Amino acid sequence: MSLAAKKVSRYIIAIIIIFSLNFVIPRAMPGDPLTNLLGEDVILTDSSVTTLRSEMGLDRSFSQQYLDYWRSILKLDLGYSFHRHSPVSDIIFTRMKWTLLLALPSLLLGGVLGTVLGALAGWRCENRSQKMKTAFFLGVYCTPPYFLCLLALYLFSFKFALFPLKGFYDTGSALDIAHHLFLPILVMTLFSLSRNYMIMRGSILQEKSSLYATYARAKGLYDAEILFRHVFKNALLPIITLLAMDFGFILSGALFVEIVFSMDGMGNLIYDALLSRDYPVLQGSFLIITLMVVSANLLADILYSRLDPRVRWH
Amino acid sequence: MRRSLYKLTFVLLLSILILGTVCQGGEDSSGTVLKIGTPNVVKSASILGDSNMGVLAHLSNPTLMKMAEDGKIVGLTAKSYEVSEDGKVWTFPINDDLYWSDGQKFTPDDVQFTFSYLRDNYPAAGWMKNTVDNISVEGDAVVFKLNKPYSRLNLEFATYPILARHIWEKVDKPMEYTNEGENVGYGPFYISKTDLAAGVVYFLKNPYWKGASPKFDSLVIHTYSNMDVLSLALEKGDEDAYYKYAGTYPYASMQKLKDTGNFDFVEKDNIGLIFLGMNLQKEPMSDINFRKALSYAINYSEILKLDALGYGQVPNAGFVPPSMMDFKETAKLEHNLTQAKSILADAGYKDTNANGIVEGKDGKDIKLAFLTRTDYQRTAELMAEYLKLLGIDSEMKSVDSSTWIKQKDAGEYDLTITRSTPWGMLMHANWGTGYFDSRRTGEGVLHVLDDPVFLKLCDDILASTSEDQLKDYAYDLQDYYAENLPAIALYWSKVETPYNRAWQGWYSDPLYGIFNVDNFLSVEKSK
Repeated sequence: MSLAAKKVSRYIIAIIIIFSLNFVIPRAMPGDPLTNLLGEDVILTDSSVTTLRSEMGLDRSFSQQYLDYWRSILKLDLGYSFHRHSPVSDIIFTRMKWTLLLALPSLLLGGVLGTVLGALAGWRCENRSQKMKTAFFLGVYCTPPYFLCLLALYLFSFKFALFPLKGFYDTGSALDIAHHLFLPILVMTLFSLSRNYMIMRGSILQEKSSLYATYARAKGLYDAEILFRHVFKNALLPIITLLAMDFGFILSGALFVEIVFSMDGMGNLIYDALLSRDYPVLQGSFLIITLMVVSANLLADILYSRLDPRVRWH
Repeated sequence: MRRSLYKLTFVLLLSILILGTVCQGGEDSSGTVLKIGTPNVVKSASILGDSNMGVLAHLSNPTLMKMAEDGKIVGLTAKSYEVSEDGKVWTFPINDDLYWSDGQKFTPDDVQFTFSYLRDNYPAAGWMKNTVDNISVEGDAVVFKLNKPYSRLNLEFATYPILARHIWEKVDKPMEYTNEGENVGYGPFYISKTDLAAGVVYFLKNPYWKGASPKFDSLVIHTYSNMDVLSLALEKGDEDAYYKYAGTYPYASMQKLKDTGNFDFVEKDNIGLIFLGMNLQKEPMSDINFRKALSYAINYSEILKLDALGYGQVPNAGFVPPSMMDFKETAKLEHNLTQAKSILADAGYKDTNANGIVEGKDGKDIKLAFLTRTDYQRTAELMAEYLKLLGIDSEMKSVDSSTWIKQKDAGEYDLTITRSTPWGMLMHANWGTGYFDSRRTGEGVLHVLDDPVFLKLCDDILASTSEDQLKDYAYDLQDYYAENLPAIALYWSKVETPYNRAWQGWYSDPLYGIFNVDNFLSVEKSK
């Protein structure tokens, strides 16, 4: 079997296992979608409970539900949410577009800026301004996300009244959406940036003491040339893994920001589905996340082999 | 490189300022808008399928009856009601000056349709299948013929929204019906739009409303997933008032609002309460002496001070709070650890091996499984301390709501801290019976009491046809609670609803707080 075929079959097996876990894990939690459906002070008759369980397919055996689950996946049908009264694909599509609007710019900005600034900080680690930047980003990196979100909201939205306190929009115009998204994106970018900055800085520090870097210097290459033509490429490998993971978890990674800024995105959707045991929404969301994580890993594999010949040879 | 990075930082900072400034005052300012912030997040635009949306819909689709300030049930869509002597025929004459927001006349036919439709299609109204035989229109009235006396019918009808026949008769599955656009209603306001992505529900004046005219033009409900941010929004002036179904504004955040000088509070005695529930099917909770000892071990004043910051009062043994109709003054619950220990010892629970933990009747140390939802963890920790002082060990399990419901229904607990909602206190045979009657089940109820005396009392209340008789039963029930302690109220609390002083005329009813038709007809801009 060729290397590519081996890799593809490995990914397919991983997908089958993860999809099965996506079915099993929600059902391993106590309760089911009916447990928390109608409100704490609503009393149902036994016949109503039986009817609802049947409509939700909860009266079927575990194995039957599992087969139904795979049948739906193969038909690209993500099911129906009794908690949100809508097909799961519609719910996920609506939420996903907002979350991507929120998370994608921060992922890209944080990735690019974090990598470049981190590289400079590692290369010129003795420089005073670089030390100050490192201290700042280390501070951000160590701050609990929830706290930083609240702090940013308190300062910029409450104290200085520059931004709204909640939601994706009020009127729905492009400017209004940008106004609502600016602060959450800024906070998420800061998180992503500081993490990438610290990793890249460490990676550059390690690489710059390598013999090839000394050789390049001895050859008379300029600093910027050594950094961006030789060292940067080698130091980038850990960042690629992290960015691939970020991309995989882009839909669920904005949970804290979504809670603080009252944004109905994917993070909030998954969190709420977990609490209410909304199996179809959980399965649908996990399915999309699985596909994204697997494709991100595949992309990382490809990039690795492009950047590092050792990976190609092995 | 460095210079371009500085430029980039500068551009970023500049754009923050520009964006922040340009987008100020984007609010639609046509007419007078009342803005209310709530932590009750609407998940779907379904007035029958989403409980939070259902509460909001009470303004556009009012109920047949309503609860007055004194707890009595009076007419809202109906003018009043009459009940036959045998309690089996209920007649509700309907107001004849009501119109749907699309211009169609509201008729008794809509009421007849609503209850027939809900009975057949809405699981939460499934009880009607076993109780209501026939619903008919007679002149301007709707008549319900029951197969058994049911004294709570008027109260039940203070919770279901009335639906437009010409809209809903085309809907097969009411729970699945969602509408993010205009919902035809007949109240003073109707829902004009539900924007789930923005977390906003918009209400506009019903142009065909013939009653007292509302004093503002539109109502906007903003939902917040974070309570701290909602508090900031109130403080900042983004919201004019706060609303939470069956809940109060956090007591700990009240002072900050008071400090602004812009806020007042509607203060009401809560019908719902926080209580210690016990699994009466298990030893030693099934022993009344053990429960009495527990009741003396609790430091009620301390719980009231720490959990509710003093906004409430120490409860009575009779459980039912004074804000409920037909309240009876029973003995005040008292903290007396010596008395608690003495009752425990007299009942045979003694620490014979002197290890600090009393032994049960099986001779083993008592270790109780203390199940609690994360919402009440702090109270449960206090309770565990009181138990320890009494010589009772406990193992706390703090879980999410779904797990709590599942484990509670499976009887996998000895003690739990939970709450009753206003409607929860009124459901079934009223006065909290719905939480204990072993013949019923539901998400928030304990259904652990199968004492024939209690069950008969519930049945008597349900079948009662006279108000005097009902009052006697209510008194008997509160005496029963006081003597048998099937649950112990931890405190009777206040419901605090903040509102900006720029608005006045607020009215809160015992069932739905400020979210009632009368309130929104009364609220106006302060002069």
